[in-house]
Amino acid sequence: MSGSQTRVAVDIGGTFTDLVAVQDGVLELSKTSTTPQNFANGVVNAIEKSDVSPAEIGQFVHGTTVVINAITEREGVDVALLTTEGFRDVLDITRSNRPDMYNFRYEKPEPFVPRRHRFEAGERIDQAGEVLTELSEEDVRAATREIRDAGIDSIAVSYINAYTNPVHERRTREIIEEVHPEAFVTLSHELTQEYREYERTNTAVLNAYVGPIADEYLTSLSAELESRDVDATTHVMKSNAGTSSFDQATQFPVEMVESGPVGGIFGAAHVGERIDEPDVISFDMGGTTAKTSLVENGEVDIETDYWLEQTSRDEGYPLKIPVVDIIEIGAGGGSIGWIDTGGSLNVGPKSAGADPGPACYGQGGTEPTVTDAHLLTNRLNSEYFLGGDVELDTDAAREAMEPIADQFDTSIRDAAHGILRVVNSNMSNALKQVSIQRGYDPRDFVLVASGGAGALHAPTLGEQLGVKEIVVPRAPGQFSAWGMLMTDPRRDYIRTNVMPFTTDTRADVDAICREMATRAIEAFEAEGVSATEVTLERNADLRFAGQEHTVTTPLATTADGAVTESTIARTRERFSDLHERTYNFTLDDPVEVVNLRLTATHPVPKPEMNRTEGGDSLADARKGTRPVDFDEVGERETAVYEREHLPSEASVEGPVIVEEPACTTLVAPNQQLSVDDYGNLRITDQ
Amino acid sequence: MTTDTDTKTDIDPFTREVIVNSLQSAAEEMFLNLGRTAKSSVIYETLDYACGLVDPDANVIAQANGVPGFLGTLKYCVRDTVEKYGRDGFEPGDVVLLNDYHGGTHLNDVSMVAPVFAEGEDEPVLFTASKAHWTDIGGKDPGSWTTDATSIFQEGIQYPLVKLYEGGELNQAVRDIVAANTRMPEMTLGDMQAQEASMEVASERVNDIVDRYGREAVEQAAAEYLEYGRELVAEEVETLPNGVYHATDAIDDDGVTADPIHVEVEVTITDETVTVDFTGSATQTEGPINSPYPATVSDLRAFFQAITLPEAETNEGFFEPLEIIAPEGTVFNPTKPAAIGTDWEGSAMAADLPWKALAPHLPEKLSAGHFMSVCATIVGGRDDRTDDDFLVIEPQPGGWGASEGQDGADVLVCIGDGDTLEMPVEVMETRFPLLFDGYRLNTPQETGHGEFRGGTGLVQDYKIYNESGAFLTASFGRHKYPPWGVEGGQDGNGNTIEIHETDGTTVRRGKVTTYDLENGEVARLITSAGGGYGNPLDRDPERVLDDYLDDYVTAEIARDAYGVVIDGDEIDSEATRQLRTRRRDD
Repeated sequence: MSGSQTRVAVDIGGTFTDLVAVQDGVLELSKTSTTPQNFANGVVNAIEKSDVSPAEIGQFVHGTTVVINAITEREGVDVALLTTEGFRDVLDITRSNRPDMYNFRYEKPEPFVPRRHRFEAGERIDQAGEVLTELSEEDVRAATREIRDAGIDSIAVSYINAYTNPVHERRTREIIEEVHPEAFVTLSHELTQEYREYERTNTAVLNAYVGPIADEYLTSLSAELESRDVDATTHVMKSNAGTSSFDQATQFPVEMVESGPVGGIFGAAHVGERIDEPDVISFDMGGTTAKTSLVENGEVDIETDYWLEQTSRDEGYPLKIPVVDIIEIGAGGGSIGWIDTGGSLNVGPKSAGADPGPACYGQGGTEPTVTDAHLLTNRLNSEYFLGGDVELDTDAAREAMEPIADQFDTSIRDAAHGILRVVNSNMSNALKQVSIQRGYDPRDFVLVASGGAGALHAPTLGEQLGVKEIVVPRAPGQFSAWGMLMTDPRRDYIRTNVMPFTTDTRADVDAICREMATRAIEAFEAEGVSATEVTLERNADLRFAGQEHTVTTPLATTADGAVTESTIARTRERFSDLHERTYNFTLDDPVEVVNLRLTATHPVPKPEMNRTEGGDSLADARKGTRPVDFDEVGERETAVYEREHLPSEASVEGPVIVEEPACTTLVAPNQQLSVDDYGNLRITDQ
Repeated sequence: MTTDTDTKTDIDPFTREVIVNSLQSAAEEMFLNLGRTAKSSVIYETLDYACGLVDPDANVIAQANGVPGFLGTLKYCVRDTVEKYGRDGFEPGDVVLLNDYHGGTHLNDVSMVAPVFAEGEDEPVLFTASKAHWTDIGGKDPGSWTTDATSIFQEGIQYPLVKLYEGGELNQAVRDIVAANTRMPEMTLGDMQAQEASMEVASERVNDIVDRYGREAVEQAAAEYLEYGRELVAEEVETLPNGVYHATDAIDDDGVTADPIHVEVEVTITDETVTVDFTGSATQTEGPINSPYPATVSDLRAFFQAITLPEAETNEGFFEPLEIIAPEGTVFNPTKPAAIGTDWEGSAMAADLPWKALAPHLPEKLSAGHFMSVCATIVGGRDDRTDDDFLVIEPQPGGWGASEGQDGADVLVCIGDGDTLEMPVEVMETRFPLLFDGYRLNTPQETGHGEFRGGTGLVQDYKIYNESGAFLTASFGRHKYPPWGVEGGQDGNGNTIEIHETDGTTVRRGKVTTYDLENGEVARLITSAGGGYGNPLDRDPERVLDDYLDDYVTAEIARDAYGVVIDGDEIDSEATRQLRTRRRDD
């Protein structure tokens, strides 16, 4: 393999910047501190710290938090908004819901554009796309002049029903370019052609809010990479688990909002495919949260119903862009156990984080965390945490646990198990939410565990859920970056057009799909990718007439992508099956299509990884034994192995502990551990 | 299920937590499934439904709500079902259908109750229950509820606790009666099936829980959880200011006559209880604004939670300190056959009254008065595009009251609604032959001024975009008696329906039933601003300037209401000082 095919992924997280590379079939890892002053420095540091030679990097994939940070810290640029006359207030009106139902002093989320910077233009298009009132170009000019004079350089445009006919939005861009050529312009329909004006407008506004910042960041990163002799194709990770070129990312920066976490889910999908288990539940548990997502037949689930900063008490901000469907809950190694006023034990969502960290870190934490509970049940090695970088303080953990034990008049051990049971119950519910609650049987899935704490919990959770097996991939602590290595450039298109889904509308469905395919291929061609290299996949959001919510159903087509009468019939059958599976019933009613979706992917060569050798024998890998407390099963003397030295194809009966610098895997007494050719740990029932 | 059964087993507190979590997840899943598959927008967007798990003693163990309006109703559904059939009167696969007058809210809210059994036992361990607004169940007008019905028999069919399923077998006769008594059979039967399916899934989940932990452990966990609810709230009730508080108000009218309806409350707070006594309020009315007792209980429970622990997960135990006195035969506890179609006008007042009584005493929990009415709107007719009948029911959002340190929220659904999503204009226009001429905040704001300003209401112009026209039914309470201010804050303006007819005339009303609108005519729906908090002359001039720059108020309003003089885009501090001094002396 030539050096220029070295593929590098760099993922910037809150605390660490991870690099994962495959060079000549060998996995390279490096970890440096994140550099919030200038994130690009962290990227360069990570490359320099690794054994990768910059000149040999052929492909560079990047996950970045620059967009999400600008939003959460409210450090974007000033934005002006242009709307249809009569619709200036959609950002204030929101959907008018009160998620915090019993709070009679509820405060709505503050719009990202103050009302004084929102302007109206005369124009109106109806839901069928017919122009009822022509665009008032004078309104647009006057507004743009005012915006320019106010010193605002980022403008979002969102007109009613522009999803179905964007002619006025396009003309508005031309006028803005004349009057205020420096402005960064975002047109709502270019981000999404789905209906729902508040969601689409807010999406356009957030894109405008982060646009100039993302541009500056990617430009400076490109320059840094160039100055370090990196001459690679550069891609950023998008929320749809695909990548795009820096250029395209600059245009639609808000698509990078979940740039980081999706890497892990894509990685889990890839691990599943490689081991011939394409149905996967991914489970990533870090210090503060646990994230899970379901992958069916190698496909990650993409939704366009994403809300930023949404909680059960806060409506948050909608983003109608394709985002991998992730359930995230406040359960991590640092999650704190606490007793509420009614006397019940709760764990999380508050986390001790990295500073002060769990009590056992000895950095001043006094509240009992999940990590403390693991230490007190002897699941963690106090002398080998983070590879020995941190020595854990069992006494501090015990002291922190005492109030819980006192409250329930029980032992420290039982209190620790209490914390573990409650946090497992929370995570188990999240895992059920992505599987059973959506009509999937966990017994058909493997559970891929990553994150620093994932492999400590996954064997227990997997057993409760009844999954086929639990897989702990290599480098579980840097798995998001690892996943990014396996991604392809990808674009998603979506188009709302509500109509009956019958042979009568076949031609309309076909035409919309063709139009989206043409746009996708043109976009790839602009980046030098030929049409033949692009794979297209079509889906339809279908419902029974009268329903509101839809079921995304693969749209059957002929081999050359045409929608025919027979493919319509096949798609309808598939929809009925999916509805039955998801909701326990189906109807004979007419079917409607709401949205058509097209995903265009440019599959690129993936780095081939050498099969791992590991150590020569199990005995070499064995570090000794220690008594580990398995709750109901009781305490068991448990063999401890060093992961790096486990030979491939080794197999050993539980209970077992496998240690590696950033992660510990816990195999229960009734489970069996084996190591496969790729170095994955595989855990099954005995 | 009681706490002192002989079969009491000891379960550890962690197992209890896990069982309770699982029961809550089951209720939430039932809720999500019904919302995702229902055919009425009033279910899938308004979330006018609730799902829960209730024990055979009618204690709600877990409940998922879209709106607070059902917080106290599932209890009565199960109570009445068990009363009718007896604890041994069920078998697995039974589903009971009801919209019983005394156990419910207006007839559109149809409930289902189904028993869940432990393996091999004769009596249910729990019941799954749900209640959802069906778009049409017959009655004199489309949508079933009206503003001018004078008896329950005009408001739709009544399902008197009948078994829709017996031992898993569909009772076809019942289904046929359901189908025959709706103007929208496809929608109604679709909703019914979605509701059945969601309950079936929940029953499976509960079965799994019972199989795994055993009946006794589940009963024990539920009993302890109720106790947990009691303890959770007890401490909060103790911190409430003890005393006796009063408020009076009026409901605009009953929709049949124009007379205002007097309502009053006495709230007594002790260390252990909050007693809400409506004695002295008007007798039940001829028109349909009466609030059946469970509806009164529901809105009061929402209020009770607001003044104690708004963020808590609640159960029956949590609400035990709330005592309600609502004499039979009054607007807050009517008897059959009083009409109850627009019950929210009465039930929202049941919460608004004690709220008004306590607002000055609990400023950290309670705002000034909000626009209060659900402002429910029905638009219907025949859609020329498809030749099908259409019927859309929507609540309208409005302004909330200001409170100490905080302006009121603009455009939010009322207390009777909750996580209710307003339908987007683009979705409305796709589904129904309407064209929105405007969808904006009601500014410049003329009312609700205060040191902290009441939230702004909404103005929506529904233009009929349909050759064959359409009709409008709507009940906008607090039309004549607007939302109240606190501590010197001003009242809001009131909710109004304005019909702009093609001949240029404008009709202003608080209530309309099946009002005919021609193609091109506009129904302007205006919701009220919330009440203000504190004297407007005490408002920080910078806030007034912000309101001016954001077009909430004009320079004239800034001067006249707030005593703030704005010159260009700046405050004239000296002129403001002088004006405020002069105005304070007046």
